[in-house]
Amino acid sequence: MQGFSDGGADLAQLQSTMHTIELACSSIQMHINPAAAEATLLSLSQSPQPYKICKYILENSQLANARFQAASAIRDAAMREWGSLPPEDKRSLISFCLCFVMQRASSPEGYVQAKVSSVAAQLMKRGWLDFAAAEKEAFFYQVNQAIIGIHGVDVQFIGINFLESLVSEFSPSTSTAMGLPREFHEQCRTLLELDYLKTFYSWVRDAALGVTNRIIESDAEIPEVKVCTATLRLMLQILSWDFRNDSSGMKTGINVFSAGVRPDSESKRSECILVQPGPAWRDVLISSGHIGWLLGLYGALRQKFSRDGYWIDCPIAVSARKLIVQFCTLTGTIFPSDDGQMQEHHLLQLLSGILAWMDPPDAVSQAIENGKSESEMLDGCRALLAMASVTTPILFDQLLKSIRPFGTLTLLSTLMCEVVKVLMINFTEDEPWSWVARDILLDTWTALLVPMDSTGGIPLLPPEGKHAAANLFALIVESELKVASATAAYDDDDASYLQASISAMDERLSSYALIARAAADITIPLLTGFFAERFAQLNQGRGISDPTETLEELYSLLLICGHVLADEGEGETPLVPNAIQTHFTVTEAEMHPVVALSSSIIRFAEQSLDPEMRASIFSPRLMEAVVWFLGRWSHTYLMSPEETKDINYNFSHNYEHQHQSLLSRKALLSFFGEHNQGKAVLDIMVRISVTTLMSYPGENDLQGLTCHQLLHSLVRRKNICLHLVSLDSWRNLANAFSNEKSLFLLNSANQRSLAQTLVLSASGIRNSEASNQYIRGLMGPMATYLVDLSNKNDLKSIAQQPDIILSVSCLFERLRGAASAAEPRTQRAIYEIGISVMDPVLLLIEVYKHESAVVYLLLKFVVNWVDGQISYLEAQETVIVIDFCMRLLQLYSSQNIGKISVSLSSSLLSEAKTEQYKDLRALLQLLSSLCSKDLVDFSSDSIDAQGTNISQVVYLGLHIVNPLISLELLKYPKLCHDYFSLLSHMLEVYPETLAQLNGEAFGHVLGTLDFGLHHQDPEVVNMCLGALKALSAYHYREMAAGKQGLGSHAAGNGNLQEGILSRFLRSLLQLLLFEDYSPDLVGAAADALLPLILCEQGLYQRLGNELIERQVNPTLKSRLMNALQSLTTANHVSYTLDRVNYKRFRKNLNNFLIEVRGFLRTM
Amino acid sequence: MDGQDQIYDYQSPSEMTYEPLTELSNWASSTCHLLPVVFFIPEYRAMSDEEHHFDSKADAGASKTYPQQAGTIRKNGYIVIKARPCKVVEVSTSKTGKHGHAKCHFVGIDIFSGKKLEDIVPSSHNCDVPHVNRTDYQLIDISEDGFVSLLTENGNTKDDLRLPTDENLLGQIKDGFAEGKDLVVTVMSAMGEEQICALKDIGPKN
Repeated sequence: MQGFSDGGADLAQLQSTMHTIELACSSIQMHINPAAAEATLLSLSQSPQPYKICKYILENSQLANARFQAASAIRDAAMREWGSLPPEDKRSLISFCLCFVMQRASSPEGYVQAKVSSVAAQLMKRGWLDFAAAEKEAFFYQVNQAIIGIHGVDVQFIGINFLESLVSEFSPSTSTAMGLPREFHEQCRTLLELDYLKTFYSWVRDAALGVTNRIIESDAEIPEVKVCTATLRLMLQILSWDFRNDSSGMKTGINVFSAGVRPDSESKRSECILVQPGPAWRDVLISSGHIGWLLGLYGALRQKFSRDGYWIDCPIAVSARKLIVQFCTLTGTIFPSDDGQMQEHHLLQLLSGILAWMDPPDAVSQAIENGKSESEMLDGCRALLAMASVTTPILFDQLLKSIRPFGTLTLLSTLMCEVVKVLMINFTEDEPWSWVARDILLDTWTALLVPMDSTGGIPLLPPEGKHAAANLFALIVESELKVASATAAYDDDDASYLQASISAMDERLSSYALIARAAADITIPLLTGFFAERFAQLNQGRGISDPTETLEELYSLLLICGHVLADEGEGETPLVPNAIQTHFTVTEAEMHPVVALSSSIIRFAEQSLDPEMRASIFSPRLMEAVVWFLGRWSHTYLMSPEETKDINYNFSHNYEHQHQSLLSRKALLSFFGEHNQGKAVLDIMVRISVTTLMSYPGENDLQGLTCHQLLHSLVRRKNICLHLVSLDSWRNLANAFSNEKSLFLLNSANQRSLAQTLVLSASGIRNSEASNQYIRGLMGPMATYLVDLSNKNDLKSIAQQPDIILSVSCLFERLRGAASAAEPRTQRAIYEIGISVMDPVLLLIEVYKHESAVVYLLLKFVVNWVDGQISYLEAQETVIVIDFCMRLLQLYSSQNIGKISVSLSSSLLSEAKTEQYKDLRALLQLLSSLCSKDLVDFSSDSIDAQGTNISQVVYLGLHIVNPLISLELLKYPKLCHDYFSLLSHMLEVYPETLAQLNGEAFGHVLGTLDFGLHHQDPEVVNMCLGALKALSAYHYREMAAGKQGLGSHAAGNGNLQEGILSRFLRSLLQLLLFEDYSPDLVGAAADALLPLILCEQGLYQRLGNELIERQVNPTLKSRLMNALQSLTTANHVSYTLDRVNYKRFRKNLNNFLIEVRGFLRTM
Repeated sequence: MDGQDQIYDYQSPSEMTYEPLTELSNWASSTCHLLPVVFFIPEYRAMSDEEHHFDSKADAGASKTYPQQAGTIRKNGYIVIKARPCKVVEVSTSKTGKHGHAKCHFVGIDIFSGKKLEDIVPSSHNCDVPHVNRTDYQLIDISEDGFVSLLTENGNTKDDLRLPTDENLLGQIKDGFAEGKDLVVTVMSAMGEEQICALKDIGPKN
């Protein structure tokens, strides 16, 4: 179908085209042949200069949809042709759109109006940098006239609407793509903010002021309400603008890269986005009584809620509330530096307006429970959150004091108490309003209480606020316990839901902890009390009543206590939370509330060692909480490294208190220190761990928690390891691990982790010889068992027995864990163990060739072992290890090549494929580890001394593995990634070894490279391009030096097959010119293309000529010719391969592609 | 998930020819001292499962299944579900009530019929794990009546194995054989059933 070009079209032609478009629109709507209809519409927007017909359709069509399509065609065409349109046409298009919407202001088809208005806004932005100021003024004069209201309410609304689309176009996060660099959008954004944003704001403010009285005075809903709502919306939108020109003034150059981040010293962790428009906005927003007007308007609306046309959630009320909340977040240099007086006044004014939304809390919550809409109350909570984000706790509390007998914190606390009370009754409902309110209010507390800066200074609450926090926390704990006991009987089978609720719960508990810590001296004894009470209940009820509810309450309490007492480490060692450090003045350790709470929990946990107690009380779930608590707690308190250090406090004021709290802190830390109770507590923890591992058979979650959280965190610190290895309980654990079979029942991940932990604890042994001895004692028996097994004559038959499979898998999991824990000190012992099981490994791979799960384990063990050892090995040892790896690869390959699984079950077949993929990935990892020997080597002599060439070894390995990697398997992204990163590394570092490969191996390597070039993952393509660059650059350099380079591979076999570099040049050019790829790849492609062109200049000439010949259009032909010419000549590109030259060529290629790709691809 | 899997009736039990594998007859003496893991036979075991546990019938010296704690059975391992040997494709754990004990939920695929089976077992209890044996034979001949002739390691032939009836599998074996490739077939046997489970082309190498 031809385009709808309208040069010299007459009326009849316009009519018929309009008819075609209308037909297409209605057939899309009725879903008759939509593809053809879409093609018709597409050809409209793609035809050159379709403006006349589009305008005709807009003005004459009766079909709203057709008008909509015409508008979007104008947009598409104008964006495409913008560069070539005469300025006159550009302006006329915009004013056509503007006039169109103004003239049809009362049209009922709102979406067409909105579309045309947004087209006008987009065109305006497109030309923003071209238009002169006077031209823009002319447009805006028109808009302003409309907004003032001289053309009536409808036009007024349209004017505001236009500004709304304009502002959203200029804000980078909501702007439409225009195919222009980001810098353009940034420039427009800055210019609008500088020149117009405030003007727009005052226009709509005036418009709003103009209609306010009529709205307030009238009893029913009037058309002005629509205008007023639109103005409120636009004001909100402008206030949501991401202001940049705050105080520092306009920067001279625009740095695109710094645009994203703004160093904000004052911003706290909260959901709130702060509004910081800068001093220029003070007159509009603050000093002109604007806030008063807004609060007055909303107050008047509230009076009308009972009447027709107005209700609590009507659009104008919602917009007004949103705007009020937005004003609460106002901060920064808009307020003068007058000690915060103006800001305080501003917040106070807002607060007194908002207060009625949520005060008195009990009455409000009662009303909501009785059916009133909750949105006003929730907005009130949001406003409190906003205020909390811009003030200190003291100032926040002060605000309310001038109008009420209590502070804002007390209001916040009472409000949240009411919400929690409602929650306690309705916890079974889905998403009740009280959930939302609780979350917002919790965020408010968090915003107030979270440490303000990196030094960890904590905000102190005034005494009254502290009491408020304590009261609230008591109620929170009560409600959590109530919910716990009520849901104790629930069976939570839905695992995915559970996961989500756990992470949500974790976040909630951290906020609770902040509240508790704000009044630690009250809340921690409170928790101790709760705990003692539940424990007593359990003891009394033993054997008499069902303990489940109490167990669940204890479970919740343990979680809460853990969060209050200690922070999560996230890989670091967390210190005692500052609030806890500074809140106490008790200097005797035994009296310290934190010690009391911790001790009572530890004593409780210790009870689990008694089999009888365990059976009656310590359910697996309760044990999970116990183990979790111990893990978290021990991180911070057990033998804390802080114990001996003194932190220098600023003793500026209140010296007495500071000194007391310092002593108190010292008492707390030393109580669980190395020289006090620390060792005893450590012993209890180890014995509890042994109990969970041995006496809770099959409880994988509990055992996982013990292995991964508790034990792991213990061996991570050296000073704890020192004590650990001297404990009898630890030795018993190690002994049971190596000599008894009861621990065989742990699942595989836990086996591995336990082995790792036990090996890591060797760092606590004083000297290297003793630690190696310890490892030998620990792992030796396992290696011996494997050697014995592999020496059995009937190995082949017994190996298939499930019990043998189980023990072989267990032992290799453990060896793998031990291998991955190798440290310089224990490397020797682990090396010896690995060497001793080398032959068994090969034998077992042979025997278990059909048991893929076992084979995978064996491979993973070898991978981890080699990875941990390779950099320490001496040359002689390296040879042994490499030889072993090659035998392993050979064996694996001979077993699997040409193997086809036959099964009826598609899922078993796909399992088989997945297993194959995992094996191969392990083998590639093995090769990568071998590769690393060339980079990281701690041995005393160089491996070259033994004549080992790592690169040859790895190529050989690749050659063995390669045939197993089918293109089908490369569809697994991880395997693909591993393969290509290894391949590109090899080609980049050792191109000379590649040249020595035989034809078949060489062909396979390059075959996959070609596959990788056309892969959809840009990272893979990038790696392949890197490899290609390295390869061709190597060849070019070698040739220049008169050597062979890639030799016969590059030359090709006579006429039958061209050399590989020629092939790659062809396919890379094809890719660059005609295929889809990510623009990020152009740089890498240029780096590969330059050496390829240099290697194959003759072919390149030929290909260029072919391209030119194919072009029919003479203008395009000459354009292409020039572009090709300048690709290789512009910017002084030369025949060398240095950094500067690569850089120039990258630039050239970029320009070349911009110049020609467009028409090459579309023609 | 497994929609294409069909119920495949390989052999009715009366036709089954189960030959005790002679190498395995002395498994008990050779392994019991070697691996002193004490397995308890759990009391909860249903009667129907009892029969293929330790096979006390005189003829077979090797047991068809072994008991193993449910918590240690992992994905890709084997398990007996409803008296069928299965490969485990999914394991998940849950608790019986919040403060109860863990239980494992297994999804297995019958290794012979490809049928999906599921089971829930308390994780501290024992499950039956089938003894799955796989033996490689060289393929000598495919007879008209749907049996294959296989060459055993000691030079005898094994002629009692039926070809699969499924067209696809049959095609894979027949085509390879017709092309004159040297084919090694892997025969999987468990709980008294056997079936060809894999093919390997060793043609050009030897």
